[in-house]
Amino acid sequence: MSEPEIKPEIMRISWGPQHPMSGQTRILLDTDGEKVHRIIADLGFTHRGIEKILENRSLIGGIVPIDRMAMVDTSNISIGYVTAAEKAYGLEVPERANWIRSLVCEMGRINSHLYAFGLQAESTGYFPAVFLWTTVDREVLLDLFEELTGARWSYNFFLPGGVYKDLPEGFKEKVIEAVHYLRNRFQNYWTAMIENPMFEMRCNNVAVLKPEDAIRLGATGPSLRGSGVDIDIRKIEPYAAYADLDFDVITEDACDVMARTKVRFHEIGQSLNMMEQIAKEIPEGPIKTRFTPFMRAPEGEHYIRVETSRGELGIHLFTNGTTNPYRVKINPPSLRNMYVFERLAELDEIMVADIPVVINSIDPWYLDSDR
Amino acid sequence: MLKTSISNLVKSVEDIISDEIESVEIKDEKYVSITVKYDYLLHVAETLKNNLGFTIPVACGGIDYLDEDKMQMIYYISNPKSRFIITLRVDIPRNSPQLPSLTQVWEAMSFHEREAHEMFGVEFKDHPNMVPLLLPPSWKGGYPLRKDFKGEGIK
Amino acid sequence: MENEDLKIERTLENVPGAGLVYNIIDYIDGWARKYSIWPIHLVTGCCSPEFMQVSGSRFDMERLGILPFASVRQCDCIMVVGVVSRKMADRVKYLYEQMGEPKYVVAVGACPIGKGPFYDSYSVVAIDEYVPVDVYIPGCPPRPEAIIHGMMELQEKIKGGKRLGVKN
Repeated sequence: MSEPEIKPEIMRISWGPQHPMSGQTRILLDTDGEKVHRIIADLGFTHRGIEKILENRSLIGGIVPIDRMAMVDTSNISIGYVTAAEKAYGLEVPERANWIRSLVCEMGRINSHLYAFGLQAESTGYFPAVFLWTTVDREVLLDLFEELTGARWSYNFFLPGGVYKDLPEGFKEKVIEAVHYLRNRFQNYWTAMIENPMFEMRCNNVAVLKPEDAIRLGATGPSLRGSGVDIDIRKIEPYAAYADLDFDVITEDACDVMARTKVRFHEIGQSLNMMEQIAKEIPEGPIKTRFTPFMRAPEGEHYIRVETSRGELGIHLFTNGTTNPYRVKINPPSLRNMYVFERLAELDEIMVADIPVVINSIDPWYLDSDR
Repeated sequence: MLKTSISNLVKSVEDIISDEIESVEIKDEKYVSITVKYDYLLHVAETLKNNLGFTIPVACGGIDYLDEDKMQMIYYISNPKSRFIITLRVDIPRNSPQLPSLTQVWEAMSFHEREAHEMFGVEFKDHPNMVPLLLPPSWKGGYPLRKDFKGEGIK
Repeated sequence: MENEDLKIERTLENVPGAGLVYNIIDYIDGWARKYSIWPIHLVTGCCSPEFMQVSGSRFDMERLGILPFASVRQCDCIMVVGVVSRKMADRVKYLYEQMGEPKYVVAVGACPIGKGPFYDSYSVVAIDEYVPVDVYIPGCPPRPEAIIHGMMELQEKIKGGKRLGVKN
C-alpha cells in the first residue's frame, strides 16, 4: 500500500505478520523512540472474498464459509446468518431449539473471552502460566462441543428452522459440572491477573477512551461497554432464548485497559449463570421444523443484528426468488474496532511498549474484519 | 412499544426532510430505510446526525443491480439513545459512479468507503486517505463485487 | 530425493570401510535434527486456535522438540497454518527464502493444500504454487492428534539425513 509521508525525526516501525504477538496483520507505528505519534493499520492478510462466494452457494450451503469466518466463536456469528436465512424462508423455530442455540452461543462466548485473556496475559507481563491455563480450560468446553456436535471448532450445528441434533443423555449434568469447575478456576484468574500489582501498573490509565469518543468513532462490544455505554444487542433485539434468560449488561466507568478486561471477566460470570439456568430449565419439545435444502426464498431483504463476543455483527441479506442469495453484506465488529485503535494515538498518550497491551484489550480478530 | 417508537421516528423524518428524500419505509418491523435523492445526500446525513441524534456510524456498502443499470450505496447508522438502525440508500449510475464522501459527517466511514471503492469502483470526493484496504496493492483484476466480474475461479 | 548438482564430495569416500562411518554420522545428524524442529511464529488463517491448543498443555507439541521461535534466520520449518490469501503468500515466500538450509514446509489444514471450502474465491491460493511442501496435513481444522502425527511423519523424513526442501 502507498503509505503517507513521515517527518525526518520520526522512525516508522513495521510490526508485521511474522511476530509472536501480532496476529495476522501489519501495523505501522510512527514513533520518536518513546511516544507513538500515529498508528496505521494494514489489513487484508486474510481476505477470502466471503461476500462473493456466498452468492455462489445456496442459502444453507453458505453456512460452511460463514462458520470459518471466526473460528474462535463460530456459534455467535453463524447464528446471525442462520436467523437471516430462516426469516427469508419464513420458518418458525421451536422453543427447545432456541434454548439449545443460546447454550451453544454462551459456550462460544466463554471460549472467546478465554482466548482474549490468554493473549492479554502474555502481552502484559509475559505470564506464560496464565496463557497455558486458558488452553486447558478451553479443553473442557471443547470436549462438551465435541460430544454435542461432533467437531471441536467449526461445527455447522445451526440449521434454518432449528438445530441439527438433540442433547445426548447425561449432557445436562456434564454442563453443570463444567460450570462448577470453571467457576473455581476463575477465582485463580482473578487473583493472578486483576489483583496482581504488576498487571494493575501496566493497565490502569492506559489508553483511555471517553464515552463520547467511543460513540463518535463507532466502537462496539466490550470496548464500548468499558467506557460506560450500555448497548448490548441481546437486550435490545432479543434473539434465540435471550428474552427468557436473566443476565445483566456489564459496564465499567474507568474507560481504560483494565476496565475492558474487567468487562470481559464479568461477562464470563454472566455466561456461566446462563449456562446453568439453561441446563436446569430447558423445555421439552421438537428441535427443528421441516425444511428442504434447495427451497427458493421469496424476494426481499432482512437485516439481523447479533451480539458476538467482540461486538455487534450485522448481516443484510437480499434474496431474489432463486436458491442463492443475491447479496450478503456483512458488517463485522472488528473492522469498527480497528478504526478506534487507529485513532487512539491521537486521543491519549501511548508509549511503544504499551501497544501489545492496548491492541489485546480492543481484541480484534482479523479473520472477521477481513472476511 | 417498539412499533409506536419506530412510527414516531418515521413521522419526524417526514416532517423535517420530506422534499429531499424519495421514500421512507419500515422494513421487517425493525429498521427504517430512507432512499435519498442524489443531490441532497450530504444535507440529509447532517440532518440525521445533528437533529435526530444518529451519531453511531455502523458501516456502508454497495449493491450492484446489473439489470437496471444502476448501483446503490447503503449507509448504516444508529442512535445511541433509541438504538434504532437507519439504512440510508442512494442510487448512482453504473458507468461513472461518484459520491461525496460522508467522512465529513461520520469519521468512521473511512474504512468502509475504501472498501467500497476497491470492490465496486465508486469514487468518493474529498476522502482523506483513499488507498486499498483489503486487496493486495498489485491487484489488477477488476472490481470483485460487481456482477460482471470474471475473476479466477468464479463460474 | 537427492539433487545431483548438490551431491557433496566426501574426502575419504574411496577408502574401504568409510561408508560405515559416514552412515553413522548421517544417522546421528538426522537424529539430532529431527528432535529439534523449530517452526516460525506465523499463523496465516483460521486454523490458528487449533495450533494454539496443540502447543498447550494437553497435546503438548514441545515434547517432540517443536518450539516456535521468533527469529527467522534460526528456524528450520514453516508451518503454514490456515487460509493463505494473495497478500500473505508473498510474505510466506519471502520468509522461506530467508531461512537457512535444510528447511522444511508443512501445510496444515485443507486450505493451503487445495483452497478448502473457499475453492471458488478470487483471493485464496494454494501454497504449492509458491514454496515446495514436504508434509500435507488435511482437515478443517485438523485434530491435534493429526497435527502431531504429521510432524512425526516429517521426523521420519528427516531421520535418514537426506537433504530435503531444496529448490533451485
